[in-house]
Amino acid sequence: MKRFALLTLCLLVVLGTVLPVFASEEGKLLIWACPLRSSVMKELGNEFTTKYKVPVEVQEINFEDIRDQLGVAGPTGKGPDILIGPHDWLGQLIVNGLIEPLDLGKKEKDFSPVAISAFTWGKELYGVPYAIECIGLAYNKKLVPKAPKTWDQLISTGKKISDKAQQRWGFVVQQPDPYHSFAVMSAGGAYVFGKNPDGTLNPNDIGLNTLGGVRGAQLFRDLIEAEIMPLGVDFNTMTTLFKEGKVGMVLTGPWSFDSFREAGVDYGFAPIPTVDGKKPRPFVGVQGFMVSSFSKNKLLAKAFLDEYVITKETMIALYKKGARPPVYLPALKEVKDSDTKAVYQSASEGIPMPSIPEMNSVWSAWSNAIELILNGKLSSQQAMDEAVGQIRTAIEQSRKK
Amino acid sequence: MNNSLTTQERRTLETRSKSSFAMMIKIIILGLMNALAIWAVLVLFQDQQYGMLTALVVGSLVIDYIYISDRVYSWRFILPGTIFLALMVIYPIVFTIYVAFTNYGTGHLLSKAMAIEQYTSRYMLREDFPIYDVEVFKDESEDFAFLLTDSEGRQLVAVEGKAVLLENTSLQPVDADADGVYDRLGDYERQSTLSIFPYLNKLQKLSFEHEGLELKMRSPQEFGYYSRRYQYDPAWDVITDFETETDYYAQDGNFISKNQDVLDIGFKTTVGWRNFKNLFTDRRYLEPFVRVFIWTIMFALLSVAETFVLGLLLAVLLNDPKVKLRGLYRSILIIPYAMPAVITCLIWRGLFSTETGIINNILLLPLFGKAIPWFQDPFWAKVAVLIVNLWLGYPYMMLICTGALQSIPGELYEAAMVDGATGWRKFQTITFPLLLSQLTPLLISCFAYNFNNLNVIYLVTKGRPAIAGAITPTGATDILISYTYRMAFESGSGGDYGLAAAVSLIIFFIISGITMLNFKYLRAFEEVPQYD
Repeated sequence: MKRFALLTLCLLVVLGTVLPVFASEEGKLLIWACPLRSSVMKELGNEFTTKYKVPVEVQEINFEDIRDQLGVAGPTGKGPDILIGPHDWLGQLIVNGLIEPLDLGKKEKDFSPVAISAFTWGKELYGVPYAIECIGLAYNKKLVPKAPKTWDQLISTGKKISDKAQQRWGFVVQQPDPYHSFAVMSAGGAYVFGKNPDGTLNPNDIGLNTLGGVRGAQLFRDLIEAEIMPLGVDFNTMTTLFKEGKVGMVLTGPWSFDSFREAGVDYGFAPIPTVDGKKPRPFVGVQGFMVSSFSKNKLLAKAFLDEYVITKETMIALYKKGARPPVYLPALKEVKDSDTKAVYQSASEGIPMPSIPEMNSVWSAWSNAIELILNGKLSSQQAMDEAVGQIRTAIEQSRKK
Repeated sequence: MNNSLTTQERRTLETRSKSSFAMMIKIIILGLMNALAIWAVLVLFQDQQYGMLTALVVGSLVIDYIYISDRVYSWRFILPGTIFLALMVIYPIVFTIYVAFTNYGTGHLLSKAMAIEQYTSRYMLREDFPIYDVEVFKDESEDFAFLLTDSEGRQLVAVEGKAVLLENTSLQPVDADADGVYDRLGDYERQSTLSIFPYLNKLQKLSFEHEGLELKMRSPQEFGYYSRRYQYDPAWDVITDFETETDYYAQDGNFISKNQDVLDIGFKTTVGWRNFKNLFTDRRYLEPFVRVFIWTIMFALLSVAETFVLGLLLAVLLNDPKVKLRGLYRSILIIPYAMPAVITCLIWRGLFSTETGIINNILLLPLFGKAIPWFQDPFWAKVAVLIVNLWLGYPYMMLICTGALQSIPGELYEAAMVDGATGWRKFQTITFPLLLSQLTPLLISCFAYNFNNLNVIYLVTKGRPAIAGAITPTGATDILISYTYRMAFESGSGGDYGLAAAVSLIIFFIISGITMLNFKYLRAFEEVPQYD
């Protein structure tokens, strides 16, 4: 009996020290941000705490883990109140029941329309957008004094620079990457999903194997055959080649600017050249703040966004760290940088990346198709037809559930 | 005297006489564990994980009993292992089996109860009713009152769950310093927007009844009328959307209306054998599956064979006393084993790169005038993966062969020399058979390891290049595990954990078969004649 008395005593002492661990998180904001954005969020969070007397904690989580982790942590009550991510996560997060619709009231008008539409699902807004990005043509001014305006100009400029023996190339797009290829395919009218009459996307209408799509994919294969573009180059190799001055032009976005600048490359950024006289419409990605549907502080989280994040000062602070054009119009007006303006210009003519969950099967089937085309294994018509078939199957299968 | 005690009694006596210090330590450790268990019970209770909770309570009681009672003495040594076996092996297996029979995946993540709660907790702002600007007032006991003003100047006072017209209440606003801003509302004192932030959690729970509708805080500056967006009726298992006035019936993990419209949030539910049926009856799944299966076996067999041959060769060479600096050579040859496989794979990926890689540009182009499309051609991609795996795997084989070689008694070779056997003959009749009999279990486990070698495949080729004509996204170098991975995380609309779990189960059965084979071999080895 003595043993049990002792045992229970030990137990109570230990319990006393352990219990405080589960203080409720009510009244405290927890934000999940990727390493790129966590430092600026920490600064902003501290500022908010000083001003509004509400503690803010920023947890740094790897970009690619945020979406999956939310699905695990959210339902058990261990998730964040607010997360920062791109709009194309929307579909998966919504059908998994993980994020909450927002209501910006009058402030919605102060945002770039393309950014608002990117974060809109059905009739409801699910995020506060703050930055936009899209790809364009980055060129090395030493090799390409003037950005080509048309695809033909791009080919003739590229030919002049290319020298296979010297490992020098006219143009590079990372492969096999549908995100970058889409811009050129879209010029001729290719689209991923068509639209329903009510403006939502229709996953049964896939327009990647339309004339424009096939022609766009073929243009890349032609560049390889003409030895203007190397085969099998990924993002890192592309960046290295560009930094070493071994490639004249690349398709990339603002995420590359820092490394180009650091390497001391005198680069320019221009819209993607027109194809057959038509303007390419690159995919647009929008970053924003979303509120977890498992947050215990929904009103607080929304008020934090409404009162503090949607202000010129915060939006400019976010812009300065992220170098992506702001989509809050009062903040955008203050931006003077020409690269940023060029990106915004490109983006406002682009198409928001579809955010419906079905995009997952689109990416993998589509990149397989691009790979087969670039490797010369299939004609572009065949490969795109096959990709569309795969996408249909995958969507049909996921519907069966 | 002692002779008259039974063994049992003697043991009990010995235990009792053991220092009470050891007993104290035991009790402290047990106490700590129980405390941890109680804490975990509270957490599990909060998360409503009752199954886990029961298991935890029962488990802790059993542990306490076993370590306190003398009657089940021997269990004290078996128990820790058993617990870890249950946690690390049996639980994941049981869970995988369960998932294989569900639709768990994107769109079916939450349990049904949780999904329903997602709907029923949603309010919609009634935009057909006025929105009010709000002034917030607070009294000493931290209760709040609100003065609401709509765009037409109508004013309401919201307090204690009710909103009434300003005229009809005793609470009257006071502007003491006459600056046009009310300082007080009855006994309640004015609060700035800034100062109410710490109270927002409290305020989000408040709602005020007005003309049969709920008035709630929309933002720190505004109030609006809200009503529930959805309602769930358990009798019919139906969710009603008040905005569109549509009924959605629960069916196969979704809420579906009569017009086949599907509500966004689905739920997790069991689907019987459907995942397995899809795999084995649908050609679109079966064909890539068979293809991947064959390559998986080839990959595992070839990987074992090539690493074994190279490892054995090096081990035999370096076992020869005539070779100088053997220690140095061995150390150098071990290096690939010491490097993290992730880095090695990524380096190889760069080396193989068709246009920019060193292998093509420095070796093949100058020597043969021809580049190999390593990652673009299915055949060469397979060769590339095998080369990387050879690099990663031979040091292990070399190590175990070296060890095994040293255990072969020297007399055998002496006897062979007396009989006039050549070096090759000695290897053929002594070294190789003896090595093989010792190493077969290791080779089999190596096969099982490579069967599941996601690292190499995913880091070197990601399963690519794509197979022309395949209907599901499958690559030429995909092995079962990478194929499963892609299915789990890149399929249709995100993740299909159910289907992926079904494939994992199939892999599990294959590996179990191999393990069983392994055990059979092991038993056979007991009869191998011993030479010493």
